[in-house]
Amino acid sequence: MNDNEYRVVWGKSGLYTLETSAWRTFRPQIDYSKCVGCGTCLLYCPLCCIGKADGRIVIDLSYCKGCGICREECPKQAIDWIKEAR
Amino acid sequence: MSMIDALTGNECVAEAVRLCRPDIIAAYPITPQSVVVELLASMVADGKLGSKVVDVESEHSSMSVVKGAAMLGKRVFTATAGQGLAYMYEPYFSMSTMRFPMVMTLACREMISPGTVWCGLQDALSVRDAGWMQVFCENNQEILDMVIQGYRIAEDHGVLIPINVCYDGFYLSHQTERVELPEPSEVDAYLPPIDLPQYLDVNEPAIVDPNTVGSFLIRYREDHLACMQHAKSVIADANREFAARFGRDWGGLLGSYRMEDADYVLVTMGATTGAARVAVDIMRERGLRMGLLKLRFMRPFPDAELADMLRGRRACAVIDRSVSFGWDRGVLSVELAAACGAHGVELPVLSFIGGLGGLDLRTEYVVRAAEMLADAPAYLKDGAYWMNEDFLGEELGK
Amino acid sequence: MNTVDYLASREDLVSPGISACQGCMAELSLRVLLKCLGRKTVLVVPPGCMAGAGVGGWNKSMGVKVPCAMPQLGNSASMLAGIKAAYDLVDPDVHCVAYAGDGGTADIGLQALSAAAERKDNIIYVCNDNEAYMNTGFQKSGTTPHGASTSTTPVGSLGRGKLNFKKDVPMMLAMQNAAYVATLSPSYMADFVAKVQRAAQIKDGLVYLHILNPCPTGWGCQGSRSIALGRAAVRSRYFLLYEYRDYRFEISAPTRAVREPLDVGEFIRGQKRFAHLAEADIDEIRRVVQQRWDKLSRLAAE
Repeated sequence: MNDNEYRVVWGKSGLYTLETSAWRTFRPQIDYSKCVGCGTCLLYCPLCCIGKADGRIVIDLSYCKGCGICREECPKQAIDWIKEAR
Repeated sequence: MSMIDALTGNECVAEAVRLCRPDIIAAYPITPQSVVVELLASMVADGKLGSKVVDVESEHSSMSVVKGAAMLGKRVFTATAGQGLAYMYEPYFSMSTMRFPMVMTLACREMISPGTVWCGLQDALSVRDAGWMQVFCENNQEILDMVIQGYRIAEDHGVLIPINVCYDGFYLSHQTERVELPEPSEVDAYLPPIDLPQYLDVNEPAIVDPNTVGSFLIRYREDHLACMQHAKSVIADANREFAARFGRDWGGLLGSYRMEDADYVLVTMGATTGAARVAVDIMRERGLRMGLLKLRFMRPFPDAELADMLRGRRACAVIDRSVSFGWDRGVLSVELAAACGAHGVELPVLSFIGGLGGLDLRTEYVVRAAEMLADAPAYLKDGAYWMNEDFLGEELGK
Repeated sequence: MNTVDYLASREDLVSPGISACQGCMAELSLRVLLKCLGRKTVLVVPPGCMAGAGVGGWNKSMGVKVPCAMPQLGNSASMLAGIKAAYDLVDPDVHCVAYAGDGGTADIGLQALSAAAERKDNIIYVCNDNEAYMNTGFQKSGTTPHGASTSTTPVGSLGRGKLNFKKDVPMMLAMQNAAYVATLSPSYMADFVAKVQRAAQIKDGLVYLHILNPCPTGWGCQGSRSIALGRAAVRSRYFLLYEYRDYRFEISAPTRAVREPLDVGEFIRGQKRFAHLAEADIDEIRRVVQQRWDKLSRLAAE
């Protein structure tokens, strides 16, 4: 009934997404020789961009802001901190 | 078949709400509206009304609750007055600009300060630019009828704007009058079934009221104003069909009395209109061709209709139960001047302000205003005449 | 299922790219909250960090994958009560959730929240407590702690930061006998998830969840340190984890496990908002932290 798009302020035209990966100055990289798969980083990543695939911890860097919590909290120091090339 | 009863204005509101059967009611009691909240609670307690009542702690919350319920397309109701309306202003503005239709009754009350709980139209008129429709009632029957018409007008899919049904606090809220109560089936036949969209559906997630850019907002306002103008024809239709079904024609945007050949026109709102009818009769008996215009809708404002009714008359007098700060006039007087100016109608306008803070707008005052109107050129001045205790002069006053 | 596997298996219902700061715990808490509650949820997000970050949507795009509405700052609880009243007519199982900041909760929204608790409205009201109005630039709120420098309680030749102590909103709601009250920290995720799951089961009244979300930008610390700060807040008993239900307090496991509390100074040092504090000021905070712990211990022992 709201054929006029200016009648009620509502909508469902997709997700609002910012390319927050551009904020990064460093990016996390898992050193699988040290990673024990405990998932501490997965618990604490504010973006929930760390997941599990085939039993391994994986980081999706698409939106990662590079806050460094995963590296800080990793009990095995298994996350390397790589400077982003600009 | 209608039933005849003797009801106060507040009782009329409650009876009308019972007939309109809103899904959700949230209201906070405030003088002089409290009886409305009490009666609705009693109706629910007695099983006479199936609405869900949310007993809130403030007017800010009452409007917020009904706004939340309106997001799911529910028919909702609240009522307030004076300070309550002022306290509710934030969600009040948002309700109308979200375009959620509803009826809210106002038992109009003067605004503080000085401290007062008594009658005045200042509360409603101070928020006339908050995006709501506002209709002002002359008597208790009109209150009842306009709550019912209000849902029909507000929920019209070409309108979708909430409406305030306003009536003079104490003078109407607490005064008993003869009222015809329609049957529920008659009201059901008059009101369309509730058909409002649901915006918060977990199966089809949507965002409601997000932040927007100005380029969106300006078009949004444009539509709101356009729908407000469209509401004028919806109001006329609603009135026409109501008259056909229930036998009472309130006139739509404007009411009139003995206007056919009138040279002089009194213009009033709300309960003052009753005294003005008497004044017109008295002046007619004295051989003066006087008529009366009763402004019913302050929003949408019937500018063209009002100007047309005044075109060619010799003079008019506006009696306000409110002030427009910054003008030396009442609100209706300012609005009427704007309408006349916009539509090229030139005639002398006398402005009167009275009845503030519950002061009696006595018939003698209105008759005196009518006498001055009949001799308008002699009384023309910038600003308003104040209907205070000195208004009648020593020979007429106490 | 352990917490890691549980959270890894749950759907993230927040937009992947919202403009919350690096290391924002409010963002993490919101994501986990919605992961636990699932899609049968309606969210209201009043003005604040999360609305500002885009959760409340922008133009007609959405910041979350559940229905979401933006109330005004002070009426989250009452607007949500209206939504819930309407949903009771449609589908009573839908979770009606508010995610409001500490200012919108402890200050301007407290009256509406208290009334909703009194009415036993079955809503889940979540307070994202980052201890100031962070979205608009660190203005003091009712939950800003004693001594903190904010933009409205600045440190100067006379100013010494906020002079009063933090308003204890979860305790207020418990004293009002809300159906369920819990305090949460994202640094203790198993406890966090269990409390949200329990909240989702409560059907007899208002649920109040109070989350202390460290705010790197407002507190003045590295974004990578916010989980560690939240942990220090719990280990020092600066922030106490507990639940309240049916007139009973229960101290939660992470707080129960603190036998030898960390010095509060360890929590305070390293935060710019407390940098001006002298040892005597910190002593004052230590005294209040101790009193709060004593009070909770007594309540839980009853």
